Amino acid sequence: MPLARFLVRRLLTVPVTLLVITAILYGIIMLAPIEVRAGLYLPRGQSNNPGLRPEVYLQNAIEEHGLDDPYPIQYARWAWRLLQGDWGWSPLLRGDVLEALLERTPPTAELTLYSILFLVPLGIISGGQAAWKRGQAADHGFRLAAFVATSIPPFILGLMLLTIFYAGLNWFPPGRISIAESLEIDAPSFRTITGLLTVDGLLNNRPDITLSAFRHLALPAFTLSMVHWATIGRVTRAAMIEEFSKEYIVAAHGRGLPHQSVVWTHALRNAVVPALNSAALSAAALVMGVFVIEAVFGFPGVSELIVGSMAFAPDTAVAMGFAVYSVLLVLPLMFVFDVLQAVVDPRIRKEVIEG
Amino acid sequence: MRGLRQFLFRWQNLLGILIVGVFVAMAVSAPHLTASDNAESPQWIRAVERIEGTSRRVPLPPGPGIPLGTTAGGYDIFYSLLWGARSALGFGLAVASITAMLGTFIGAMSAYFGGLAHRLTLRVIDAFLTFPPIAAVWLLAQVMRPPEVLPPGISLQAVLAQLRVSPVMLALILFSWMPYARIIGAEVLGLKHSEYVEAARSLGAGHFRLIFRHLLPNAISPAIVLLARDIGGMVILQAAFHFIGLGGMSPWSWLLVNGRNWILGPNASLLTYWWVYLPATLALVIFGIGWNLLGDGLNEALNPRFYNGPMRWGRA
Repeated sequence: MPLARFLVRRLLTVPVTLLVITAILYGIIMLAPIEVRAGLYLPRGQSNNPGLRPEVYLQNAIEEHGLDDPYPIQYARWAWRLLQGDWGWSPLLRGDVLEALLERTPPTAELTLYSILFLVPLGIISGGQAAWKRGQAADHGFRLAAFVATSIPPFILGLMLLTIFYAGLNWFPPGRISIAESLEIDAPSFRTITGLLTVDGLLNNRPDITLSAFRHLALPAFTLSMVHWATIGRVTRAAMIEEFSKEYIVAAHGRGLPHQSVVWTHALRNAVVPALNSAALSAAALVMGVFVIEAVFGFPGVSELIVGSMAFAPDTAVAMGFAVYSVLLVLPLMFVFDVLQAVVDPRIRKEVIEG
Repeated sequence: MRGLRQFLFRWQNLLGILIVGVFVAMAVSAPHLTASDNAESPQWIRAVERIEGTSRRVPLPPGPGIPLGTTAGGYDIFYSLLWGARSALGFGLAVASITAMLGTFIGAMSAYFGGLAHRLTLRVIDAFLTFPPIAAVWLLAQVMRPPEVLPPGISLQAVLAQLRVSPVMLALILFSWMPYARIIGAEVLGLKHSEYVEAARSLGAGHFRLIFRHLLPNAISPAIVLLARDIGGMVILQAAFHFIGLGGMSPWSWLLVNGRNWILGPNASLLTYWWVYLPATLALVIFGIGWNLLGDGLNEALNPRFYNGPMRWGRA
């Protein structure tokens, strides 16, 4: 079972990654003044606290949590709290940081998921098509489109699309769902099962809500897909062209296989691997794009905690919690792309297990 | 020399050089414009004298003295656009080259010394690759207090403030060096046992000399390509961060934020107040295109085997 062994090997890297990243993040916050660091350890439930800077609590936190201790001890203590689900209390949100993050996860997950489901197949198919028709009109069209897509900054593209399709034509609305529908969703008769509105709408026998959710998702998901589609498409195209010159392709042709099947089964199978690799490497850029696009479209995902509505700097607990949480958003994406590579290409499984 | 002629033979490369040249010219000419009398505002903002019969609250269309019109509030767009080129070039060059140097250094060191150090570095790179720089901006803002509230004396914060480093800048530098380290590492790993390096070693060249005189000059070209593209990419990210409210203001993004309400709001459209957003938008897009073209051209000239290869990184 090499694939199973690969999965285990790959899973074992996750804690290492988390350890390195959290150690760096806590290292950064160690450079901050001690009052700032104390913001990570505020007691919960300060909802009726009049000021946003509860100095007394800060002083208590410094003494109680030993914030004068050396870095490794402090880090270990903080990491242990993270593991127990205690991500700190935010006087700004008047709430638990982890709860605030989890509450906003479904919209972000939905946007990311549909964008990827759209952009990865599109990139692979269009890149493969361009390589197949190399030098022809379709190829030139693909290269031009890819160049344009990578040249326009997504936030500007988003703004333009909003202006045209929302303000001008009123086809696609911003936000996640209309106000009337959000009231229906909050009503007790609507059961929240997955948190993803597109799925919950169907499960509750309300296809209209699913449809509306998709209508709200269309523009942000499209905007998000553009840059990353082009990246994957270009990689696929280059890899396909390289594959075409290899002997097994010549041999397949020689055996009399139809050209179409040589391209789409033999060559593509190998060209998909670098495409998935590039997707895995740019997973963090994709999540970063999700945050920016959410803000541009007023989509109420996790980025709400750091941009837009807050208008002023979030407190330490939120800043730190968000940083850690964004890694948790990237990790599963990378994992899936890596596993897909191993599924397609047995050599990668072997490499990881033996090396 | 033949390489240079070939490089100049492609129209894409010439266009790239032309675009970057225009931005450099804009940047150089910006300080020669008449500055604002108002000492309060940033250097790159100039209020236009009120014209009879117009309101300051509404953007003025292009006219005499204001080649690209004004923003709401009566600020000269042309003036900020030129200063924006200065700011963008400065920001892009500074951030991208510091990032490149950091990544090159880490990659070269770890690959040259190899062994456990290299394996650890690869682990750390993998970990950094899972982190989107945008998430570090507020965290770094907590560390870097504004200079006004700093206690006197020399501290890390004071040094950073003196260098005029913003949290956005630092976030981009700290969390984008990994591609450079990977590429340089792979190149150095392939070169370090080659004959010319062994020859230099046997002649008594030290580690420092081997890395900087013999290995890096031959390993650096893919990093240069990445650097050219990153100059545009970093500026676009900075603008995006400011646009969504993460701080790190630049003249171009200031123009965009200022113009947003006039193209996206009641009675607004792309056509009515086109001058409030179009100059800054085009500047940003063309800036990115220029550096991308240069990067593509350099890529083809310097590393033919990477051409169109998996070097390109998605950007937000």
